[in-house]
Amino acid sequence: MMLRDGRQQANGTPPRARPLILVIERDKHMRELAGHFLVTAGYAVELALDGQFGLEQARTLLPDLVVTEIMIPGIDGLALCRQLKVDSATRHIPVLVFSMLAANGRAREAGADAFLLKPLAEHRLLATVKTLLEARLATTNLEQSS
Amino acid sequence: MSGYNDTPEPAETLHRLPTGNPQLDAILGGGFPANSINILMGEPGSGKTILAERLIFANTGGDARPILYLTTLSEPLPKVVRYLQQFRFFDADKLTSGAIRYESLGADLEARGIAALVPRLKELIETLSPKIIVIDSFKAIHDVSESLPEMRRMLYELSGLLTAYDTTAFLLGEYGEDLISSFPEFAVADGIVELARKKLGTRDERYLRVLKLRGSNYQEGLHAFRITSDGLDVFPRLTSPTLPLAYPTGDVRLSTGVAGLDKMLQGGVWAGGATLVEGQTGAGKTTLALQFILEGLKHGEPGLYVNFQENPIQLARTIQSLGSDVADARAKGLHFLYASPVELQIDSILVALFRTIEEHNIKRVVVDAVGDLIGAASDLTRLHSYLNALAQHFVVRRIASVMTLETTQMSRNTMDGQISVLSDVIIRLQLERYGDKTRRTLQVVKARGTNQDLNVRELHITSKGVEVM
Repeated sequence: MMLRDGRQQANGTPPRARPLILVIERDKHMRELAGHFLVTAGYAVELALDGQFGLEQARTLLPDLVVTEIMIPGIDGLALCRQLKVDSATRHIPVLVFSMLAANGRAREAGADAFLLKPLAEHRLLATVKTLLEARLATTNLEQSS
Repeated sequence: MSGYNDTPEPAETLHRLPTGNPQLDAILGGGFPANSINILMGEPGSGKTILAERLIFANTGGDARPILYLTTLSEPLPKVVRYLQQFRFFDADKLTSGAIRYESLGADLEARGIAALVPRLKELIETLSPKIIVIDSFKAIHDVSESLPEMRRMLYELSGLLTAYDTTAFLLGEYGEDLISSFPEFAVADGIVELARKKLGTRDERYLRVLKLRGSNYQEGLHAFRITSDGLDVFPRLTSPTLPLAYPTGDVRLSTGVAGLDKMLQGGVWAGGATLVEGQTGAGKTTLALQFILEGLKHGEPGLYVNFQENPIQLARTIQSLGSDVADARAKGLHFLYASPVELQIDSILVALFRTIEEHNIKRVVVDAVGDLIGAASDLTRLHSYLNALAQHFVVRRIASVMTLETTQMSRNTMDGQISVLSDVIIRLQLERYGDKTRRTLQVVKARGTNQDLNVRELHITSKGVEVM
């Protein structure tokens, strides 16, 4: 399978015209605004309202990035992050914890690749997403070349 | 394992938005918290719009995100912009560059009612990314609401939208205090600031009050303000200092400038002490007070003379009659603060007084006469609190103060006893008639920490000033 730049995708998922971001968020306005800004920036976005469905979507879709709130119904965002990071099929997916809780340390302990405190500021969100996706791409390239 | 029930990590310090007025920022605990929803309330003409406009011009720097000023159904947009241009803080470049954008929601609201508001705001957020949103007047939106439940639903949505996005909102409205418990916007507000106006004689006194400001150590109470070409000129309510108020042991006595009086006081008044000089018109209060200030200058102690009756020219004549040169006295650190009793606003006088004290390291202060403050006060309880705080500030700053009080004024109000309590020393001057002659007398009726001479002594005003026999 090929990535957008023509190289093989490590996890065997089909090639994507645009990077896919899974946003797990229960707040309607936050979901809609985050979705809007990410789509406008050129990403494909899937939405999930709770942790259980978000986890299933992550395992099914194998997105390029997961953005999750901590306080979501069902499995909370930190537990979801841990589960993604212990699963060999999903551990490569960068996780951005984007929360109303000041929990940078706990997010990192749970294996999150980045943390952002709400409210949503699109320049911060887009800059973080871009950094995570570029870092993931660099890792993939390194894995393929070795 | 659930992560978010653990011990919380320290919350980030709230970023705050300056208002463009340092005094108001201090009242707010540093400014309005970013990402908050605030209501600026008050009757028409109370200064809400000016406060908001000053604030938005103060926040145009930094990132490139614009500020949105949305009018609704009250004032037409051209009128708002026309009057805005009268203020010194107005900068046309901020409008032409798009840093501040004025838009009207009036047409949308008239066409679709309050259902238009949240979708329109969301659209503006998605397209413009505003860092500040002002809605003026928000209360007018009630006029197109069909029911309170509809308004509540809309506000729930609005609150959710404004909370989700990184923006700070200001909802302006002609709300009275009676509407706070019934209008649902107050339930979603993080901050509420009330602006009010009170008629006092032939003039108005304006006050602002912070009723609520989440996450902020704000200053409660009424804070006076004036509307100027720079926006709001705010005078924070004077509060007592938190430092201990006990006199340090080994403190020094200061000469009053009147040798006979110093002798009666066992050497003079305490540094940091408050002295009340009371007496009838013509008894010598102003002369004695000026002598006290001039004596300080001789010892390198800058002085401030606060006066409400005699303008600086009249005072200069009095100083010259005491054998001193005004220019020389000024050069040595004499400062005047004059306010006409007609326009006297206590809060502004106190702010000016403290600014002068800090700027010039003032060590002696005269307030001549405290009765003028009483006459100008709309609220005597508030004045008493001010005088008490003022006296304590003087103690902490080691400033010796003299307040004069006309006994005729004293008999007309209830402040006399309260002012006496605040005073360490009370000097009573009297005009006594005997036969067809009149003589001036002086008595030290109170002197804390001093075994004073209680005798009534004759007082003479000569070309050298006051002399006590």
